[in-house]
Amino acid sequence: MTTTNSSDNLKLPEAWAGKYLLCFTLGVVLIAASGLVFFVGAPSKSDGLRFGMHSYLANFIYAISFGIGAMFFVLVSFLTRAGWSASIRRLAELISMTIPWVACLFAPILLVVAFSKGSALYEWNFANVEDIKESIVQAKVGYLNGPFFVTRAVICLGIWSLIVAYYYRLSRKQDETGDVGLTLDRQKWSAVLMMIFALTVSMAAFDWIMSIDADWFSTIFGVYLFSASMFGFFALMIVSFMLLQRNGKLKDEVNIEHYHDMGKFLFGFTMFWSYIAFSQFLLYWYGNIPEETAWFRVRINDGWQYLSYGLIIVHFAIPFLGLLSRHVRRHRTGLFFFACWALVVHWLDMTFLVMPNAGPFSMGMMFGHLLGGIGMFSLFIGFLLLRASDAPLVATGDPRLHEALSYANPLL
Amino acid sequence: MSEKKPQAAPAKPKSFGWIAEYVDEHSLLAASRKVRDSGYTKTDAYTPFPVHGIDEALGIKPTILPFIVLGAGFTGLFTALILQYWTNAYDYKYIISGKPFASWPANIPVAFELTILFSAFTTFLGMWALNGLPKLSNPLFNSERFDRVTNDRFFLHVDSRDKYFNRESVKDLLAGTKPESLEEVVEDSSPTALPSVIWLGLGFLFCASLVPVAVVLNMRAGNDENPRWHVFFDMDFQPKKKAQQTTTIFADARIARPQVPGTVARGSLVNEDPFYLGFDPTKQASLNAANNIRLVSAADDKAEKPADTAPDTASEKSATTDPVKADEPAKETPAANPPAPTPTPAATPAAAGGPNLPWITEFPLEVDASLIALGKTKFEIYCSVCHGYAGDGDGLVHRRAEQLQQGYWLPPTSVHDPRIQAQPIGNIFYTISNGKGKMAGYGTVLSPKERWAIVSYVRALQRSRNANIEDVPVEMRAKIEEAKKAE
Repeated sequence: MTTTNSSDNLKLPEAWAGKYLLCFTLGVVLIAASGLVFFVGAPSKSDGLRFGMHSYLANFIYAISFGIGAMFFVLVSFLTRAGWSASIRRLAELISMTIPWVACLFAPILLVVAFSKGSALYEWNFANVEDIKESIVQAKVGYLNGPFFVTRAVICLGIWSLIVAYYYRLSRKQDETGDVGLTLDRQKWSAVLMMIFALTVSMAAFDWIMSIDADWFSTIFGVYLFSASMFGFFALMIVSFMLLQRNGKLKDEVNIEHYHDMGKFLFGFTMFWSYIAFSQFLLYWYGNIPEETAWFRVRINDGWQYLSYGLIIVHFAIPFLGLLSRHVRRHRTGLFFFACWALVVHWLDMTFLVMPNAGPFSMGMMFGHLLGGIGMFSLFIGFLLLRASDAPLVATGDPRLHEALSYANPLL
Repeated sequence: MSEKKPQAAPAKPKSFGWIAEYVDEHSLLAASRKVRDSGYTKTDAYTPFPVHGIDEALGIKPTILPFIVLGAGFTGLFTALILQYWTNAYDYKYIISGKPFASWPANIPVAFELTILFSAFTTFLGMWALNGLPKLSNPLFNSERFDRVTNDRFFLHVDSRDKYFNRESVKDLLAGTKPESLEEVVEDSSPTALPSVIWLGLGFLFCASLVPVAVVLNMRAGNDENPRWHVFFDMDFQPKKKAQQTTTIFADARIARPQVPGTVARGSLVNEDPFYLGFDPTKQASLNAANNIRLVSAADDKAEKPADTAPDTASEKSATTDPVKADEPAKETPAANPPAPTPTPAATPAAAGGPNLPWITEFPLEVDASLIALGKTKFEIYCSVCHGYAGDGDGLVHRRAEQLQQGYWLPPTSVHDPRIQAQPIGNIFYTISNGKGKMAGYGTVLSPKERWAIVSYVRALQRSRNANIEDVPVEMRAKIEEAKKAE
C-alpha cells in the first residue's frame, strides 16, 4: 500500500481546479460561434437551422458518449469483481458523473422537438401526420412523436443519472469508511443495472440518432453507439491519466500495467467497432433493398464518401495496426498518441452518424460543426474538472485497491 | 553417451544443474531476481500456480511467438482474399445476387475467419514448438522433493547448460537465497532411444495405412465387372422393386402399373382438369393423332427433299408445326374477320402460333364482379408493367425500352390485338401460366383462380373497346352521355 488518504498526490493539480470557468466560457462562445457560422453561412434560414440542429446533436452525442462508456466500465468492474481497475475506477466514476450535467445540454433539442414542428432535425416531427413525407414514417408516429420522444429522453437520462449518482455516492462514502459492504451493494446491483443500461443505450441510439432517418432501421444501432462510446471512453481515460501524471499526480497509483490494460481495451474496441459497423453494412449491402440502403446512400454521396470511406482507414486500419503490438500499448508516448487520435476519430464517427442527413458536404458546414464540437468538448471538460475538483482521484477506501497496485500483466 | 552405471557408483551421472526449494512465491521471486542479476539466463521457476511478475524476475525475454502469429495471420488474410478472388472473379465466374464478380465486402467475413484460423493454429503449434513440447521426461522428476511442486512448494532451477554455469558458485549463490532445500539434479540416465517394440508398432501402422490407399488406387486404375464392394450396405439391397424391373406377381410382368382407365391419381388433377390447364386433355388424343401423322409426314418430306422444300406442298403442314411461319398468316387471318367472341376452333392453332391444343372456351369457374375485381388487382400487379394498365402493350418497361432505343426490344403484345381477341380463353390462360416468347410464365406465382381472374379481366378490357351503350347499366348511361357532351 503506497497510498496515504487525501494526500496531495490524489488531488487535481492546483492549476487545473479553477479552469472549469474558462472551459465553460470557451464552450459557450464556440457553440454560439458555430451557430453564427451556420446561420450566416447557410443559403437559407431553414438550412441554417437544419445544419445547426444536426451539428449540435452530433456534438452532444460525442460529449455524452464518454459518460455512457464510463457508466458501463463502472458497472462491469463491479459485475466481474475486477481488482485490477480499482485504482483507475474513480476517474471513470467522475466521467460518468458528467452525465447529469451533459444531459442538460440535450434540452435545446428537446425544446425544439416539443415546441417547433418541422423537419429541421427529425423528419417525423410534425403536428399533422399528413405533413410527414413518407408513408412508412407516418405509420411510426405512434412511437415517434414529440411528447413521447421527450418523455423517453427524460426517463433515459434520468435513469442514467440515478445509476451513476448511486455508484458515485457509495464510492465516496467508502473513501471515508472503507466499508466492504458498500462494494457488495454495488456488486449486487450491477447485473440488473447492466441490463437496464443495455436497453436504455439502445433506446437512446434509436431515438436520438437513428430516427433522424426515420424510415431506416438497424437493430444493431444501439450496439454501434455502445462500441463507439467505449472506444472514446478508454481514449479519454488514457489521455487523462497521462496528463495527470505529467503534472505529478497519481505517480504510483496508475502504472504501465494499467495503461497496458486500457490500451488493450482501446485496441479491442477498435476491433469491436469495426466488427459492428461492418456487420451492419454487410447485410444491407448484400440485401440491396432500397429502403435499407438509403442510409448508406446519403453517406457515400455528396462529398460524404470521403468521410465514410476515410473512417475505415482512420477509425479501423490505423488504430488497429498501431495498437496491435504490446510494445506500443506499453509505450507511454505511443499510447498517448493513439488515444488522442481515437478522441478525434470518435468525433468523426459521431459526425458520420448524424451530419450526412443534414445535406451535402461543405467545408463551411464542417467548419461550423468543428467549432461546435470543440465547444461541446470544452463544456464536457469543464463539467469533469468541476466534478473532480473536490474528490480524490483514487477510490482510497476500495478493498481491492491493493490488488490494483500490485497487479502485473504476464509476459504473454 | 549412455552411462549405464548405477547411482551409487563413484563416477556421478552428468549434472543437470541445481534446484532450490522455497515455501512461498515471495522468496522465490527474490531468489529469481538474485539469480537473474548474477547473469544466469538458462533458469526456470516451477510453481503450483501462476506467479505474477515471475517473467520479469527471471529476466525472461518476450517471446517471438507474436511475430510468427502475425505472419500467419497475414498469410491467412491473403490466402482468403486470393482464394476468393481467384474462384469468384477468375476461375468460375458466377453472378451472385447481381454483385460484381470481385465483391470485397462479401470476402471480408471469410478473410477474417481464415486470419483467425491461421493465427490460432500457429499460436497453438508455435507454443508447443518454442517450448520443446511434447517433452516426455524431465530430469527434474528424478528429485523426490520436486514432487511437491504441484502441491505447495516453489522451485528455482539453474541449468548446467548455462554458459556461466559453475557447480560451486551456483550452489553458493542459491544457498545465499535461504532455500528450504538445495540439491543437484542429474541428467536422466535412462536410454533415450525408443524401444524397438514401438518402432515395430509404428512400422506396422504405417504399412497398414497404405492398404486403403492401395485399394483405392487399384480400383481407380482398372475396370471390374463385379459390383463395387459394399463395406457399408447403406440400405443398397432392399426387398423392393424399382421402376422398369420385372415381377412375377402380375401376368404382364410389369412392376410399374398402368393407370386404371377412368381414374385420376392423387395429386394428378393438375394434369387432368381443364381448370388447371386451359384445355381439355381428354380431347387431346384425337388432336394429337392428326398431329402425329402430320409430324411423321413432314419428317418424311424433309427426308426426301432436304434442300428446297417447296412452300406450296408444305405450307399447310408447316403452318401448324413451325411457329415462326405460323405468325405470318396469324396477323392477317383474324384481321380479315371482325373480332368474334368465340372464334372457330379451326382458326385457333394458326392464330395462336403456339401449341395446338383443345382450348376450352367456357370459364371453368363462376365469373362475377369479384372475380373480375381480383383479376384487375392481379393484372395491375403482374401484367401492367409490360402490357400497360389498359392492356395496350405500353407498360413502363416498354416505355423505358423505347426511351433507350434498343433495337432488339420486342414490344409486348396488346390485349386488344385482334389476334388476342380471337384467342379462346383457354389459350390466354395457357399463355399466362406458361409464358410465351419473352414473357415469363406466371403459373408459379399466381393460383389458377387468379389466372382465370386475369383472363376474365382481359376479356373485360377487350370488351370495353367493342361495347355498345346497351351494355352499360341504365343508371350509368347518363354519366357517359355527359362525358360525351363535355368532349
